[in-house]
Amino acid sequence: MIDPAPPAPAKSSMPTPRPSLPQTRNAEAASGSPRVASAAGHTVSLRGLDAFYSDHHVVRGVTLDFVANEVTAIIGPSGCGKTTMVRCINRMHEEVPGARAEGEVQLDELDIYGADVDVVAVRRAIGMVFQKPNPFPTMSISGNVAAGLRLSGTRGIDLEQRVEQALRAAGLWDEVSDRLDEPGAGLSGGQQQRLCIARTIAVEPEVILMDEPCSALDPIATLRIEELIDELKRRYTIVIVTHNMQQAARVADSTAFMLNGELIEHAPTQKIFTTPSDPRTEQYVTGKFG
Amino acid sequence: MTSLSPISNRRRRTNRLAKALLAGGTALALVPLAAIVYYLVSKGVGALSLHFFTSDPSGRFFGDAGGVRSAILGTIEIVGLATAIAVPFGIGVALYLVEYGKQRRFANAVRYFIDVMTGVPSIVFGLFIYIVLILTGEFGGFAGWKGSAALALLMMPIVTRSAEVVLNLVPAGLREAALALGAPRWRVIARIVLPTALPGLVTGSLLAIARGAGETTPLLFTATIVKATTFDLSSQMNSLPAQIFDDVRKAQNKLVDRAWGAALTLVVMILLLTLLARMISRRSRLA
Amino acid sequence: MAGPTRHHFTEALAQLEQRALGGLDLVCDSLTRTLEALEHQDVELAGLVIVDDDRLDGRYLEVHQGILSLLATQAPVATDLRTVAALLHVIKHVERMGDQCVNIAKLIPLSGHEPPVSAEILTVIERMGALARSQVIQSKRAFESRDVALAEDLVRQDEEINRLNRECFRLALDIGDDIDKREWAMHMILVARALERIGDNAVDVGEQVAFVVTGLFREFSDASHVPPG
Repeated sequence: MIDPAPPAPAKSSMPTPRPSLPQTRNAEAASGSPRVASAAGHTVSLRGLDAFYSDHHVVRGVTLDFVANEVTAIIGPSGCGKTTMVRCINRMHEEVPGARAEGEVQLDELDIYGADVDVVAVRRAIGMVFQKPNPFPTMSISGNVAAGLRLSGTRGIDLEQRVEQALRAAGLWDEVSDRLDEPGAGLSGGQQQRLCIARTIAVEPEVILMDEPCSALDPIATLRIEELIDELKRRYTIVIVTHNMQQAARVADSTAFMLNGELIEHAPTQKIFTTPSDPRTEQYVTGKFG
Repeated sequence: MTSLSPISNRRRRTNRLAKALLAGGTALALVPLAAIVYYLVSKGVGALSLHFFTSDPSGRFFGDAGGVRSAILGTIEIVGLATAIAVPFGIGVALYLVEYGKQRRFANAVRYFIDVMTGVPSIVFGLFIYIVLILTGEFGGFAGWKGSAALALLMMPIVTRSAEVVLNLVPAGLREAALALGAPRWRVIARIVLPTALPGLVTGSLLAIARGAGETTPLLFTATIVKATTFDLSSQMNSLPAQIFDDVRKAQNKLVDRAWGAALTLVVMILLLTLLARMISRRSRLA
Repeated sequence: MAGPTRHHFTEALAQLEQRALGGLDLVCDSLTRTLEALEHQDVELAGLVIVDDDRLDGRYLEVHQGILSLLATQAPVATDLRTVAALLHVIKHVERMGDQCVNIAKLIPLSGHEPPVSAEILTVIERMGALARSQVIQSKRAFESRDVALAEDLVRQDEEINRLNRECFRLALDIGDDIDKREWAMHMILVARALERIGDNAVDVGEQVAFVVTGLFREFSDASHVPPG
């Protein structure tokens, strides 16, 4: 979306003009052409990220690269700042009164905390799936999926087609295609969460953040979501916060361990779970504390 | 042999006594309510007729005293205008408090004043409008819209209070989900928060309307009591509470009977509004 | 932060390790008896070694089952996972070493009641037996104490065993024309070969020690690089 991306998952060597994010979005929205998913995705890089709630320093100088088209899992004990860190990536953190963030978050080459960047455009480019499935209760199934497009005032696109695409991508189409006008809240928990994922991908983001997306689901629904995550990473860069280490081991290409707001270790998942380098990671993944 | 022992007789007696006390208290509280309904119906029904609803008070001492048409229509007009003012403003203030003000000092000050306003006697609003809009003479004399203004002042804190509660019930997760989809805040409010809270907002507003419709004193100071039906809000205007107030002071039985009829009419109107509010809130998804 | 957790799991894993390493003690016993039987041409004792191998096979099944249930129920990761994986190897090597003892024990009755022996070859075999035994003991100590240096030291001893194995072969070649003597010497080649294999297995256990500690698997010595003897 931002420029033809480089073949390698490394960061683009061609800097993108700064305000290009909102502009390309509008242009694309206006043309209404369905976007062809490009194999080369988008990188997110944190550079010395600090986050605060009033006086509480909850994320401390995190520098971390999320590789394009990979799933990165964030693990760590409760209160280690992993959710806050992820909420900084699409600037949802600042919605909490008294919360602020410092440092840089780069989407490809663009600093999303830059002065001329529109926060609304950032959130369209970096979607988020929450812990509890939260379909809009006043809307139907298709209304929920189209909500993102309607809410962001996108015009001139074929909503019906977009809804179907998104529901198919979320693996929900076959289950709901005959009752698109029924309320979204009538679905089961796992279906609701997939509906929320469909809602997120309907706006065609570049990165998807997931904050413990399976913690409210039963094991089978969890496995379906995990399968879906594996599908989605072909088109999106995915960051998933999880308390379930088995889940991190199953879905993530690389895993980052956080403790007390600091990034302790970030390595390929297989390494984190067989031979972590830091003793604190070892202690955490083997369940010696936490 | 289990250690569970059967209920002792003493526990049984205490339990029965407590139940009886509570039931008795409830019955006692229902006595005045039943009495009011009984008197209203028994005394009011006799006054009701087609003529009662379709004619204005004649003001003649002898012969036909006329009905309460002007009072019913006046009440509807005055309360309608008051609603048109109080509901949008009230919900607007609530939206500010919930969505923007949150726990800021200014928002908390606003909340405090709204609480105070809820407790202010209605006569104070009447006097306030009387002093500001009528005694100054700048805006003419008594008028229906001034009654509406007084009622709106009375209703607004009620609307705001109930709306704030309902808006706070809208799950924060929904706002977050909408914001995370890249929606500007005003669209989140218009498309997500308000529709989700709608049934509750309607209920709160209807209760405020019912309260406003029953008020007498603010209207006595602002719209006064007249006889003729009017649709001009800038002229003096009759209303049901004011009409009742006027009639019961008269030394004529037929006028007192008319007051009973008017009171029954008013109560039925408010009852219908409350029922409507109930029905809507039952459909609420935020229960 | 809470204190240490997973007591049950930690205990279960420690016990499993104890049972698996205990297998090395059993191997040691078996080897001692085998060498004694060999020295005294004691057919009865050799028979006991063969029967007793059931204990080692039983230990293998027990540890194997324990590892499976630990994997299934506790999903060990990191060092725990490496320990469990290494124990699976260790118990397999234990079982193999036991089999080598059985192989030797089976050769004893074949040599007849009073075979014509070569003192030279017997000395070499005895030396090899002692070395193999000490290697097994050392591999156990290295695993228990997670001592990589001690584990690597096994290679040094193993080289000595390999050298003795080649020497045994040479001595057997030069044994002369007596047919009974040649038959006995061939049996001794097989015995030497079995002892040499026990030494290799001990080195493999040592390699697992290094894997548990460092997370990297590497062969201490590559058999394909050993010069032909």
